[in-house]
Amino acid sequence: MKKIGILAAFLVVLGIQPAAAQQQDTLVFTPQWMAQAQFAGYYVAEVKGFYREAGVNVKIKHPSPTQPAMAMLKNNVSQAITLQLCQAIEMVDGGLPIVNILQTSMNNGMMIVSARGRDPLKHKGAKVGIWSVGFGQLAICMSIKDNLEYEWIRFAQNINLFLSGALDAMLAMSYNEYNQLLQAGLEIGADCVYRFCDHGYNVQEDGVYMTRKYYLKHQEQARCFAEASRRGWEWAAEHPEETLDIVMEYVGRDNIATNRVMQRLMLMEILRLQVDRESGERAFRLRPDMVQLASRLMTENAMLDHEITYEELVP
Amino acid sequence: MRRIIDYIRRKLSIRVSLVVVVFAALIFVAALSFFFLRARGAVREEAINRATQILDKTSLQVEGILNRVEVATAMTEWLVQRHPENSDSMFVYSRGMLLNNPDFYNCSIAFEPYYFKERGRYCSAYSRNIGGEIRTIQGGSDNYQYFYMDWYLMAKLLDQPCWTEPYMDLDVSTNTSEMVSSYCKPIKDSDGHFIGVINTSLSLSWLSETISALKPYPHSFSIMIGRGGTYFVHPDPSKISRETIFTHTLEDMNLPVSDLGHAMQRGEEGMMHTKVNGEDCYVFYKPLGKTGCSMAIICPERDVFSGFDHLRRAVLMMVFVGLLLMLFLFIRIITRELKPLRRLAAEAETIASGKLDTELPELDRIDEIGQLSQSFGNMQQSLVKYIDELKNTTAQKASIERDLHIASQIQMGMLPKNFPDRIYATLTPAKDVGGDLFDFHIRDGKLFFCIGDVSGKGVPASLFMAVTRSVFRTVSAHEEMPNRIMDSLNKTMADMNETNMFVTLFIGVLDLATGNMHYCNAGHDAPLLVGAGVGILPCDSNIPVGFMPDWKYSLQEAEIYSGTTIFLFTDGLTEAENINHELFNMNRVIEVATEALDAREQEPRKIIARMTEAVHEYVGEADQSDDLTMMAIQFIKD
Repeated sequence: MKKIGILAAFLVVLGIQPAAAQQQDTLVFTPQWMAQAQFAGYYVAEVKGFYREAGVNVKIKHPSPTQPAMAMLKNNVSQAITLQLCQAIEMVDGGLPIVNILQTSMNNGMMIVSARGRDPLKHKGAKVGIWSVGFGQLAICMSIKDNLEYEWIRFAQNINLFLSGALDAMLAMSYNEYNQLLQAGLEIGADCVYRFCDHGYNVQEDGVYMTRKYYLKHQEQARCFAEASRRGWEWAAEHPEETLDIVMEYVGRDNIATNRVMQRLMLMEILRLQVDRESGERAFRLRPDMVQLASRLMTENAMLDHEITYEELVP
Repeated sequence: MRRIIDYIRRKLSIRVSLVVVVFAALIFVAALSFFFLRARGAVREEAINRATQILDKTSLQVEGILNRVEVATAMTEWLVQRHPENSDSMFVYSRGMLLNNPDFYNCSIAFEPYYFKERGRYCSAYSRNIGGEIRTIQGGSDNYQYFYMDWYLMAKLLDQPCWTEPYMDLDVSTNTSEMVSSYCKPIKDSDGHFIGVINTSLSLSWLSETISALKPYPHSFSIMIGRGGTYFVHPDPSKISRETIFTHTLEDMNLPVSDLGHAMQRGEEGMMHTKVNGEDCYVFYKPLGKTGCSMAIICPERDVFSGFDHLRRAVLMMVFVGLLLMLFLFIRIITRELKPLRRLAAEAETIASGKLDTELPELDRIDEIGQLSQSFGNMQQSLVKYIDELKNTTAQKASIERDLHIASQIQMGMLPKNFPDRIYATLTPAKDVGGDLFDFHIRDGKLFFCIGDVSGKGVPASLFMAVTRSVFRTVSAHEEMPNRIMDSLNKTMADMNETNMFVTLFIGVLDLATGNMHYCNAGHDAPLLVGAGVGILPCDSNIPVGFMPDWKYSLQEAEIYSGTTIFLFTDGLTEAENINHELFNMNRVIEVATEALDAREQEPRKIIARMTEAVHEYVGEADQSDDLTMMAIQFIKD
């Protein structure tokens, strides 16, 4: 015991804080997917020292198959994660109060890509692939509303199921799977693509969320983190090629099976989706009308117990 | 450049050599082009056969293993269908599959959620061969919900056996990943309902190694792509499972590799000539059984044709060097052969400079150059002889000219030089000595005069003229009537006329006291009378003197008025030619005489001077074609 006391005193002299104390100040941030250009702004903020300059100690930790982002937030492994608006609404409805500290996406990037040149709106009862981890709430609402009776096939992996011909259509993100399909040599006609943003489902997607409990205790840290993250995104928009270099570093570090071309296309699309269609600006804010739209659609289709309001999501 | 061209134009040896070498080069180019074209076709065929054989062999090898997987899976499915109620058996079957097939990577017999109530949501009998040790576990969990996986869904949705796209299988327990492809077969119960999937996976390391090893040429390489075009075999490891064959076409739509990718995706087999990484390549591709994958051997064109290109370069170099050598030798040989010609040319220059006795080189040759040299020698001898003759001739000519000059002086000396008043005459011979004559003398108050023109010119004519003049003097010394003088003169001249020459002659005898004039004309131009007017003295037609000795010439008589000038001339006046060979003619003579009359210049010297001037003006630069003689006599009655 005495020896421990001496060691502690020694560490204090050296200016090194005990690990427990350091842990208190570190904000673990978890994007909801593996390393890719979808999260470029955060990587930029880290590499360029924007977090450090803002006085916040951020550690970016990607999720794993055994530890998805939402579970990490729930278990307080991560203090901030990215979520799509619909997922956030589901979480709040599920009983975990979370707050949006930074909204990056201003537009919806989800689409239905149909195989064999068929218009998704005319393919009633089609087998449509949907991510097993979620994200597809709007598509389910649309299928019910338009009476398309899609048979939803939940899948865990990428586009291979669709390419093998096992699916009639699949949900795709305009910045990810859509590009992967193009990269697979598919020639996708305009008739085969249904973009939700063009059909009254323009609901914001990615935003950074914290549990309300954590937020209330660390408001300043949250503010600094959000501010530095926003700065990272703005820098990324101004320096896309350098940003891409940073993204490829993260991708390489995690040995992600992707390439620079794909990440460039993803970055460009993500940056495009960050511009508000109406104002033409990178607003970085949650829009009450979109929260209301998403919440109402999900409530109408019995995905929520009660309608989630904008106020419930903002600090 | 111009200097080079000028040099070539001056050098016969270079010109001839160039023509021969260029012609030879054209023949070589034509022949070699044909040869290279055929040879290239043969090399290409050889490459196709070679690559096709390699691909066929690999494909057979792969299909052999794939077939084993398919057969083993079918047998396991049979067992599962025989005992579908016992979940524990599934683990035995799964394990048995790997025990019987140690080269398989893993085997899962997975069932729909809650198919076995006692197992709950997940039942996947998963066996994995780890270094010869078979490990069998429950493969499903909340973290690995197998029924959302491609391999499970593909078999279920397609409702038929299928191979999945190759994927990286992560073994959490060992934290190792392996590229595998799975053969998945849907399991049906006795009612034909779908109950699960048997998944047998093969590690693709061996396939990757096998395909990577396909290297028919030093820089050729092999690729394998999946359904989505993803590279699973590629010489650049950073591309494997990260890029597809189409990745770069997203940024550059015109990349030709796109066509190759689509052909391979369609499961086609064949050969394509296309650009890969900017280099012309032959790509040979073939699908890998039913896996949906396709392999290709990419052979850079420079590799396929490298041996051929080496040979071609060597042959072209040899031909090039050979042609250069040929050009050099030709120039040397032709220069050597032409050397005597050059010496001959130099000697000719010396001879041309006047040294006719220059000794020509002795050539021991019988060819054209030898013949030329001999001919040149003959020519030299002839030239020397000719020059000698020319010298003699020139000397003779000079002597003759000297004689002629003297003769001319003698002839001119025969003519009266001193003219009394009212008589004047000129004679301008066409050559040194002429055939015209005139003469006059006064005897017994009468003026005897004559003018004549001997046929021909030169010395013979002058001699004939001299004789005529002498006879005229002799006869007119005692005879008074011109016709008798003419008869006498004709007889004398005809008798001694061996050469058939003749003379036209006009003889007049003017009584200086009365102006009465007797005259006789033997074929000469009638004189003009320039007095009150200008008129031609009428003359009878008589033949010239010298033809017929017995001809009787007619006598004519005319009264000459005081002040009238008798203007006599030879045909040298009327037939004087200008540069256009147009004659001065009688009309102009009369014109000039009329002008003289009008100007009151019928005095002999003046009228002759005016006539001479008019003729000279008319003739201009033209040569004088005939002797020109004029004589004018003005009668003034005392």
